[in-house]
Amino acid sequence: MTSAVDELEEAPARRGLLRYAATKAGGALLSIAMVIVATFFLFRLLPGDPVRALAQGRNMTPEQLDLERARLGLDKPVPEQFLHFVSQTLRLDLGVSYEYKRPVLDLIGERIGSTLLLTGTALVLAVSLGLWQGARAGWKPGSRFDKVSTAISLVLWSVPTFWLGLLLLMVFAAGIGPIPGIFPTRGSSSVDKPGGFAGVLDVGQHMVLPCLTLVAVVYAQYLLVMRSSVIDEVGQDYITTARAKGLRDDDVRRKHAVPNALLPTVTLVFLRIGFVVGGAVTVEAIFSWPGLGQLFYEAIRVPDFTLMQGTFLLITVSVIVMNTLADVVYHVLDPRVRSA
Amino acid sequence: MRKWLAVLAALCLLAVGPGTAVAAGPGNKKVIKIGVTQSVDSMNPFLAVRLVTGQIQRLIYGFLTVPDSKTLQPSPDLAESWTTSPDGLTWTFKIRQAKWSDGQPITADDAAWTFGKMMTDDGAKTGNGPAVENFRSVSANGQELTIKLKAPQASMLDNPVPIMPKHVWEKIKDISKYDGETYPTVGSGPYVAVEHKKDQFVRLEANPDYWRGRPKVDELQIIFYDNPAASIVGLKKGDIDLIGRLNPPDFESLKGDGNIVQWNTQGRRAAYLQINHGATTSDNKPIGGGHPALKDPRVRTALHYAIDKQKLVDEVQGGLAKPADGSIIPPLYKDFFWAATGAEKVTFDLAKANKILDDAGYKKGPDGVRTMPDGSRKLQFRFSIHTGTPIEDKLAEYLTGWFKEIGVTLTTKRLDSSKFTEETGTTALFDIAISGWSVNPDPEEVLATHLCSRRPTATGEGGGTESFYCDPTYESLYLQQQKELDRTKRAGIIKKMQERLYVDAPVIALYYPNDLEGYRKDRIAGITPIPEDKGLLYGGSGYWPFYTLEAVSTDAKASGGSNGGLIAGVAAGVVVLAIGGLFLARRRRGVADERE
Repeated sequence: MTSAVDELEEAPARRGLLRYAATKAGGALLSIAMVIVATFFLFRLLPGDPVRALAQGRNMTPEQLDLERARLGLDKPVPEQFLHFVSQTLRLDLGVSYEYKRPVLDLIGERIGSTLLLTGTALVLAVSLGLWQGARAGWKPGSRFDKVSTAISLVLWSVPTFWLGLLLLMVFAAGIGPIPGIFPTRGSSSVDKPGGFAGVLDVGQHMVLPCLTLVAVVYAQYLLVMRSSVIDEVGQDYITTARAKGLRDDDVRRKHAVPNALLPTVTLVFLRIGFVVGGAVTVEAIFSWPGLGQLFYEAIRVPDFTLMQGTFLLITVSVIVMNTLADVVYHVLDPRVRSA
Repeated sequence: MRKWLAVLAALCLLAVGPGTAVAAGPGNKKVIKIGVTQSVDSMNPFLAVRLVTGQIQRLIYGFLTVPDSKTLQPSPDLAESWTTSPDGLTWTFKIRQAKWSDGQPITADDAAWTFGKMMTDDGAKTGNGPAVENFRSVSANGQELTIKLKAPQASMLDNPVPIMPKHVWEKIKDISKYDGETYPTVGSGPYVAVEHKKDQFVRLEANPDYWRGRPKVDELQIIFYDNPAASIVGLKKGDIDLIGRLNPPDFESLKGDGNIVQWNTQGRRAAYLQINHGATTSDNKPIGGGHPALKDPRVRTALHYAIDKQKLVDEVQGGLAKPADGSIIPPLYKDFFWAATGAEKVTFDLAKANKILDDAGYKKGPDGVRTMPDGSRKLQFRFSIHTGTPIEDKLAEYLTGWFKEIGVTLTTKRLDSSKFTEETGTTALFDIAISGWSVNPDPEEVLATHLCSRRPTATGEGGGTESFYCDPTYESLYLQQQKELDRTKRAGIIKKMQERLYVDAPVIALYYPNDLEGYRKDRIAGITPIPEDKGLLYGGSGYWPFYTLEAVSTDAKASGGSNGGLIAGVAAGVVVLAIGGLFLARRRRGVADERE
């Protein structure tokens, strides 16, 4: 008897979730389609002649420029270029980079690993640090811990990434005064990268400064969201109840307040995962980290239309996908959203 | 959460600790690392256009000739000797008996195939297409290469095409799609490329069979830095051993480091102003929005008189340049350099500049700004510079000050590089713009930027022009020098061309920036610049500096590296221990709180 009632109640909920997910997915697909169209025209609006810029300081004759333009298909009318671009993209072919003369997909494939490694690690660290610190700060708002950690995170958040990265580079890579220069100045590994475990360590060492920069500038948002979320929970009746039961303060915070307070950070974390794919353009440029961010930066500098389109598409699509996932996951986690 | 963090911290310790020690010196190989801030575009010489790639090709492949290390004149490379027919239309080169790095003999057939490929396959023209434009035919007979030309060409001996091994490259179906990433490369230069990681590095190993003899260092690494500031840090720290193309502030920041040699010498560049003196397209139709006053050579000359070049050198370039009394070819090229003398020479003289404008009828208004003789427009010019270039910003400040004194207003326009190239090369929407080119030992290319044919077509195609210049006198001199095979006579004509540019002033040369480089003397024991007498290192032409490179014994280097590693490990360990201690302390205190 009871089970039948349960089923009756659950079935519409599940159907609701499916419908919700489908609507969201549909919306995401529409967004992606719009992004594909926008990408093409957006980059055609940029000033400058990509062919001439390709030479970067070397003089080229008109004949050479024309040849290059023809090779890249830039001599064709824009509508034709557009149709070509759309059909190519639908076949998951992102074209050939002007600059590197290689398929964009290959270039992305070569970089995505090091990007995910750097930004992924940074995300894990920033989320862990931000949430932990935020929970503690929110638990006793106004305490010294709260004041100090909020202030530090806000300062780091407001500092320009480029400036902070450069500062870390100067201090910890070059070494100043008694601080020896212990970290490498560039890249994701040494040129004579040792094999095996030593190679892994080598990469780890290269990762410290860029990772630190990224964590420093992004963790504040997790801290702040978590802090205010915990502050909200502290005033709730169930916390008082838990305390009244004589539970240790630490346990009340960890087992009761924090799990509930985590909810609003879900969206934030998922969104950030979307951006993680795109890498961190500034940080990658400072530390010459060979990731997608650097690839995108290089593409803009040239400008390399196909490469820009490809990386831009990948980044926007991953943000859209993660955004959609965040919506769905939130829907599952929070019944209030479901009923609304 | 705490456990989590502790695990992460432990992982960090692992990552930082011993890794540094392992990453130290690569055995007892002699390795020299060169830092560059431009990445390699393609390892396929038929496609590559960037300067850095050209430098690397010079190390991997042989060319017909190479600039002599003392005189910069063409000297034998893969071509041992050569003759020219009296009409200058047939060139015969004797190709050296030598071997490709895979052991195959080098023959004239390889050279003929390389040039032939570029003449017949559009895909192979991207890199050096213009070099074979004047070729009528190319043929090979054993070690003898014959090139027939359509018209005489004096720059023939400065051929920029690397000779490729036919037996390797003829197998490639579509040159325009081949990335050239097969290692080790087969070449005939002093080094063999063994690895290339995009936007990271190129690794070159000494070619043991190189015909001049094996280079003294075992491995050259060309390491790419996205961020120039990081490359300076890299040099100071010893991550790289040599870096070229520095700007004055970066160069100054190397001062006081006992391990670093600051290499300051005459450069290959000229910095000048290009003036929109009435831009036209290649069918002589006016385009762009140039100020009409600049069509008047007297106005251009007055501007020239209002520039204190010595002051620019001192204040803008930090003294690391030479004021220009000539035109677009810097004094490094002694044979071709021309400098104004006597009455022709323009010196800083604001009174004279004012007088020229007064005499020409450009009256000063009540606001101190001059107007056109017919009163239609004020002499207000736009000055286009690049965004984010402090040197150009400073330059603009000085020019604005001086021009104000002669009743001319200058407004600075900052453009990103692609917009800049578009305005100064195609649309002509500028009045005055900053410019400058690096000049090769044979200056023909930079002279050609002032030819009528370099102006864009009506539809904006083509380009590569400097100031949209088109002048019959200059044009005929250009054709003359092209045909003149006697070097001294040709140099005479080239000097006349520079004189024409100086007097007519479509460009005003400001100064010749020094070539600024830096290298570590604890790593590099010897390096021969080009030219040998106080010449350039990385920034020079030809492979000479890198062929003669000598590394300091590697033993010392290896131990230095592991010391750094040890320090790194210890420091990282301390940091992690401190964090761990903090956690423990907090935890204890937390528990204590609850006990109370």
